[in-house]
Amino acid sequence: MRRHDPNNNNGGAPGHSRRDFLRGSGLAAASAVLTGGATAAVEEAGAVQEVGPKVVSSAVEITLKVNGQEHKATVEPRTTLLDTLRNRLDVTGPKRVCDRASCGACTTIVDGAPVYSCTTLAITCQGKTIETLESFDVGEKGVPHAFHQNDALMCGYCTPGFVTACKAMLDKNPNPTLEEVRKGLDGNICRCGTYIGVLQAALNAAKAMKGA
Amino acid sequence: MANWPASPNLIGKSIPRLDGLLKASGKAKYPSDVRPEGTLFGVMLYSPYAHARVKSIDLSPAETMPGVKAAIAIAKAGTPLRYQGDDIAAVAAETEEQARDAIRAIKVEYEVLPHVVTEHQAMAEGAPEVFKGSNIRNNSRKGRSQTKGNPEEAMSKADVTIEGTYSLPVITHVCLEPHGLTAKWEGPDKLTVWASTQAVQVVAGELADALDIPVANVTVLTDYMGGGFGSKFSADVWGRTAAELAQKAGKPVKLFLDRAQEHLAAGNRPSAAGKIKLGATRDGKLVALIATTHGTGGARGGSLFPLPYVYDVAASARTHNEVFVNCGGARAMRAPGHPQACALMEAAMDDLADKLGIDPLEFRLKNLAPGDFHTPIYEGEVRQGAELIGWREKRKPRGQNGGGPVRHGLGMALHQWGGGGTQDKKVSCTINPDGSVELKAATQDIGTGARTILAVIAAEVLGLRPTDIISNIGNSSFPPGQPSGGSTTSPSMAPPCLDAVTRARDAMFKKVAPTVQAAAEDLELRNGQLYVEGEPIMGWKEACRKLGMASISETGSAADGLASVGVGGCQFAEVTVDIETGVVRVKKIVAIQDSGLIIDRLTWESQVYGGVIMGLNYGLFEERIMDPETGVMLNPDLEFYKLAGASDIPEIVVRAYDPPDQKARGVIGVGEPPTISTAAAIANAVTNAIGVRVPEWPMTPRNVLNALATASKEGKA
Repeated sequence: MRRHDPNNNNGGAPGHSRRDFLRGSGLAAASAVLTGGATAAVEEAGAVQEVGPKVVSSAVEITLKVNGQEHKATVEPRTTLLDTLRNRLDVTGPKRVCDRASCGACTTIVDGAPVYSCTTLAITCQGKTIETLESFDVGEKGVPHAFHQNDALMCGYCTPGFVTACKAMLDKNPNPTLEEVRKGLDGNICRCGTYIGVLQAALNAAKAMKGA
Repeated sequence: MANWPASPNLIGKSIPRLDGLLKASGKAKYPSDVRPEGTLFGVMLYSPYAHARVKSIDLSPAETMPGVKAAIAIAKAGTPLRYQGDDIAAVAAETEEQARDAIRAIKVEYEVLPHVVTEHQAMAEGAPEVFKGSNIRNNSRKGRSQTKGNPEEAMSKADVTIEGTYSLPVITHVCLEPHGLTAKWEGPDKLTVWASTQAVQVVAGELADALDIPVANVTVLTDYMGGGFGSKFSADVWGRTAAELAQKAGKPVKLFLDRAQEHLAAGNRPSAAGKIKLGATRDGKLVALIATTHGTGGARGGSLFPLPYVYDVAASARTHNEVFVNCGGARAMRAPGHPQACALMEAAMDDLADKLGIDPLEFRLKNLAPGDFHTPIYEGEVRQGAELIGWREKRKPRGQNGGGPVRHGLGMALHQWGGGGTQDKKVSCTINPDGSVELKAATQDIGTGARTILAVIAAEVLGLRPTDIISNIGNSSFPPGQPSGGSTTSPSMAPPCLDAVTRARDAMFKKVAPTVQAAAEDLELRNGQLYVEGEPIMGWKEACRKLGMASISETGSAADGLASVGVGGCQFAEVTVDIETGVVRVKKIVAIQDSGLIIDRLTWESQVYGGVIMGLNYGLFEERIMDPETGVMLNPDLEFYKLAGASDIPEIVVRAYDPPDQKARGVIGVGEPPTISTAAAIANAVTNAIGVRVPEWPMTPRNVLNALATASKEGKA
């Protein structure tokens, strides 16, 4: 979703470029695992973490820092961050919808940048700061409040992804225009059709956050 | 609700939903978020083929895989598999990864059979058969002919006629939360499930039947659910299978479908195609409609849709063929049949208006049923909508929209829906001595705001705020509640809610009156205060303390006159079309909707915005694409099954048509109506822009360019 952001390369928190994504946290590692090379996956993971390669296969215990707390989880090298959060840690804010980086319902903030946690491997997130929307300010200056007040949700299943993408966008660009909000949220899909409320909520949240 | 409320404090205002902050902060626990202690993960094995027969199935390689605790065969040797996605087996394991591995280890031998996955394939002479049946020929079952008057004779006398062929593809529901449930046995014959369903009591009944246990021992819980749109009324094979796996493993099992299965097996909206002949007098009065239509609901029926639609046609004949293909079965989808009916009828209406040389808006108004209750409502709505879209100033006749590559066009369409309630539902209201108020009903909130609407009604009666009310729904053991479908929930649940709360309030007055030396009829509740003869004497909580130790609990039933049925509505679309690329951009939609008494304007508007956006998806993007050669779906995902994103959303203007006489009609549902006519209005706007009819939905570059190419070959453009 960041790739649509015109300010992506102009400072602020580092974004995920396609090249970084392929090289490090996602697909290359995933395909290595699929072809049976757990070692390759860990080499990729290691390269990102800049530590020496370590062979990992089958179940391994990792520690993830989620919403400020350290959690231990037993995962496989192929286990996604999303499935680790939901199926092991009961951090169920991020949702699994498309499970292949199309819809944004799983959006999670890793080291300050929004990622699709359904295509991010859990083992690559060790030592990183993972934030889900459960940790967001629910007061009047927070994004969740703006979504609530503008009825920017109906069934609510896409909402965690939109709220998270919105928070990440506003952290980087506190004064978005309507067009920038549209682009910033284009990596997310809603089926109930809540976009009118979502766009308004994002603009209102930007205003409220400035008053913080 | 004819005489209620006399002077509302809350009813009709914009009230944020009760559970909005929980949903927006990720704290609302959906059925797919629930994971009781020891839960195993269930995964289904489904048919990779469009048509096959199981020759043999062996679960044993899966059963010995790491972490696997139970496996169940759904298909047996000899079982026919009628579509890609048909159920074969299921496995429960300690992790989802292990369960997926185990599914791959199941050994199934298939006898692959010839398939048909498109209507074209299915209807060909000598095509392979999906079903055998005495009344099925070329995979088609002839539907009943519906005839009114003498259409052939009327058509022959018509001054002007058109004949058009129009079609809409199969689309899928794409509920964001997958179908499924988590099953936990509390004892040998006692089951709790957390199900993503739009009908908790239907699911409870089906599971009790399937598992042969008393329905009183089955509790279905749905605090929240991530979309249904008509596809989540049943426990389904996977729900029953999850319960059986849990029984076998002695542990809770969570089984939710993956995205591909959602597209393949969890329901779809039938296609619709038809040849429509429409005739009118020279001054624009419809005289005859003759239509031959067909559609497919996969390996199930359900493709019939109403025709003629909305307009008054003196004579009509219509035959419909149900076509069977090797694809997953159709399910009800938001206003079943109506978007298809509206698209076909409104396209033909526009084409005839063009040939007559009459403004299509005037042509429509001229052909509303004279004397019908809804005719003046449509007239009012159309006038308002025309003004908001700028019909008079901006619209040019078809094909006269400039000479550059980007053409501009306006279109419109009318729709209709029922949206009435049932009379057999109940709501209970408990007022406790601590001042808390609890509503209970076995209905559920599919995203419409059902939970909030009940609380608003209670708060109105008790002079409280909606947030003071605990609105407990989504539990099958509560008083009988309405399934969330057909825009029937609010009109079914609002009357018994009003009745329950009114009874509870009156019972409270009776108990409290003697303690304040007043007569019950002199008591009133307003602004969180108890009033005696117009004077506030104490706060709500203090008044409730006068109840002593005993809570008050009353159950309410439906009453006549508090809800109604039957809505109209119209929509206008403004588009630009690039005739070189075929790309359509929707610039603006205007939606005017009547629906009786509006309880919460905020959630009402959300329903209408959402309906329009879903209609925009039908109009521009959505299409299930089947590969005739391999019989598989080519886009069972969310990257090639296209849905609108934030950048695709135009300006949308929503207006409630609710003069006082509308409010007096009482509560009517609004879930379905606003999604019906959007795709029709968009297609008419595209046609207005480019000068030729695009006969196939959605309005993709391919379909637009095909229409332009066909017209060009015929020398029309």
